Amino acid sequence: MTAVIQATLNGIMMGSMYGLTALGLTLIFGVMKVINFAHGSLLMVGMFSAYWLIKLTGIHPYLALLIVPPVLYVFGYYLQDVVIKPVFKAERQTREPATVIIVTTGVWYVLDNLSLMLFGAEYRTVRTAISNKSMALGPYILSIPKFSGFVIAVLATIGLALFMRKTKIGMALRATALDREAANLMGIDQYKVYNIAFGLGTAIAGIAGCVLIPFYYVYPSVGVVFDIRAFIIVVLGGLGSIPGALLGGLVIGLIESVFSQFMASTWTEAIIYAIFLIILFVKPSGFFGNKQDW
Amino acid sequence: MKSHDKGSLLTCCLAAALGLVLAASPVLAADKAVKIGNVEPLSGPSASVGVQGKQAREMAVEEINAAGGIKSLGGAKLELVYADSKSDPTVGVTETERLINTEKVNLMTGCWNSAVTYPATQVAERYGIPFVVPVAVRDTITERGFKNVFRVAAKDSWWVRDQFRFLKDMQEETGTKLKTIAFVFENGDWGTGFAEKWRELAKKDGYEVVLDEPYPSTATDLTPVVTKLKSANPDIVMLVSNAADAILLTNTMAEMQVKPKVVLASGGGHADPKFLENTGDTAYGIFDEVEWNTDVNKPGAKETNAKFKKKYGYDLTGESVDAYASMYVIADALERAASTDPAKVREALASTKLSTGPAMIVSYDGVEFDKDGQNKNAGIVIVQVAKIDGKPQRVTVWPKSARRAGYTPVFPANK
Repeated sequence: MTAVIQATLNGIMMGSMYGLTALGLTLIFGVMKVINFAHGSLLMVGMFSAYWLIKLTGIHPYLALLIVPPVLYVFGYYLQDVVIKPVFKAERQTREPATVIIVTTGVWYVLDNLSLMLFGAEYRTVRTAISNKSMALGPYILSIPKFSGFVIAVLATIGLALFMRKTKIGMALRATALDREAANLMGIDQYKVYNIAFGLGTAIAGIAGCVLIPFYYVYPSVGVVFDIRAFIIVVLGGLGSIPGALLGGLVIGLIESVFSQFMASTWTEAIIYAIFLIILFVKPSGFFGNKQDW
Repeated sequence: MKSHDKGSLLTCCLAAALGLVLAASPVLAADKAVKIGNVEPLSGPSASVGVQGKQAREMAVEEINAAGGIKSLGGAKLELVYADSKSDPTVGVTETERLINTEKVNLMTGCWNSAVTYPATQVAERYGIPFVVPVAVRDTITERGFKNVFRVAAKDSWWVRDQFRFLKDMQEETGTKLKTIAFVFENGDWGTGFAEKWRELAKKDGYEVVLDEPYPSTATDLTPVVTKLKSANPDIVMLVSNAADAILLTNTMAEMQVKPKVVLASGGGHADPKFLENTGDTAYGIFDEVEWNTDVNKPGAKETNAKFKKKYGYDLTGESVDAYASMYVIADALERAASTDPAKVREALASTKLSTGPAMIVSYDGVEFDKDGQNKNAGIVIVQVAKIDGKPQRVTVWPKSARRAGYTPVFPANK
């Protein structure tokens, strides 16, 4: 029983962080109707930024949270503005522009290979003040970097949800998501909104990077590992849904952690996909997906 | 005048003939070089190890020749004839044919890749040319009843055998008794192959298997596996891991405060230099197995490694040490055979009992072939990660004869 509770605690912590890695993906899809295949690479950029910042300056990993996400916001903003926007404009007539998806795939390859060229294929970890630290909670052990990751993931999700509801920019994002043409007619600059959405999505990948780096390692194709999970999470939670990303992440994290107490951990991967199929069968639009987009 | 002319002509002829005879004897000795064909991957994916083996052989041959060559053959010199296998079995076979038929080599050695060595030794067997295999670990290479194949290094299955020997020896040495054992391994060919043999040997040695856990090498989180390990609470944890998962597993075990008495890894990810860089303090006490380590406590090991490093700029590895030692095995056999006739060399190789000399920088205690041509004494080294001068280092602990002088292994690691 102890092991199951321990596994549940760990599942919640890891799951919330999986949710965090999917949050940017769901935001970008919700607003732009584009599946961003470069999302994993943006996560990789976030992790490398956090890695180098901590490695070179030795600052506390959570101080990096004040620096890395803003930098990634700017990176994402201009990535969309310079690389993706022109393609978008050419595809303006289609509702879910396929060429843009191909462009994001291109961005994925370019970013991954650039970092391969710059940093090499090796695994890197950085020793921080909280690495490998844990606290005891009765008979249970909570890893400190993972627990703080959990707190940050929940805060980021709530923060983003509030931002979308309460602020003017958030409302502009939602309006564009609902109906691009109508929002345009109301005087919202569609492409600027896209830049902001992409910037925000990238910034969240930066947050995820800062959260992961104290206990995980980074290498050029690290994004792929998280990306596959992120796609499942986003579909599971409902495409474009912010609370859905967190919930989807928790489901995956719990399955992975708790189920592997009862069977070989190589099986959990199969279980995840099986449950994923069942949920989609029962509720095709995911937990929080509407028949219409939000 | 005429007779004088004749006389001088005769003298000339005699002188010339004498000169020829005089000149001929050194020519004959020089002719008596022993040609050793060497098929190695000198280009392609395994080129770096191929070149390492080539350089180790070159150094050994230089030493042997400088020390007067093969004395029973009138100081005959060893001469290596290289061929590139490109790690391709087909190329390996044609090159072996060429070396035997065209280059007329007296012996063969190589080929590092098991896939190349397997068919290449078959060719040599057909021609009756002795083939000394320093390292190519596939078990079956010396399990076909061949007469002319001799392997110096340990075979694949001995890696697992030696892990259990190590456990047994160390328990005897330290007077500890370990009962329960857990297997945690990556779910590829390598990990599952090891696990299969582990189960067999654990049963034989009377351990109770409390966890038998494969995991995907690409996992983002290994806490579930470590949680299981924690509740199973084994005395011994056996691991097969690639680089990334070795790091993740070690750090997560520290985080979850899982402290088995013995953690024993199987090379691979744990032997990657990046492993120690990325784990630091959490890796102390872990045992790992390798073919050879630069600190093995064998006479001449340090000096030979220093010489090699000076010459080529990098340390000897297990595989290059085997290649180096093999040249001495060949030289020893030729010396005793006093002939380059393949059948006689084969007989000499079969009765090899080498336990002294420069070849003995290897971690094991000698070279002696069984009826299938496998070196009976070959074995693996177990190292322990220890803090030496404030830095993690891999220290040889087993076999005891190779242990680093002055080091006491921490066994069990977490008392």
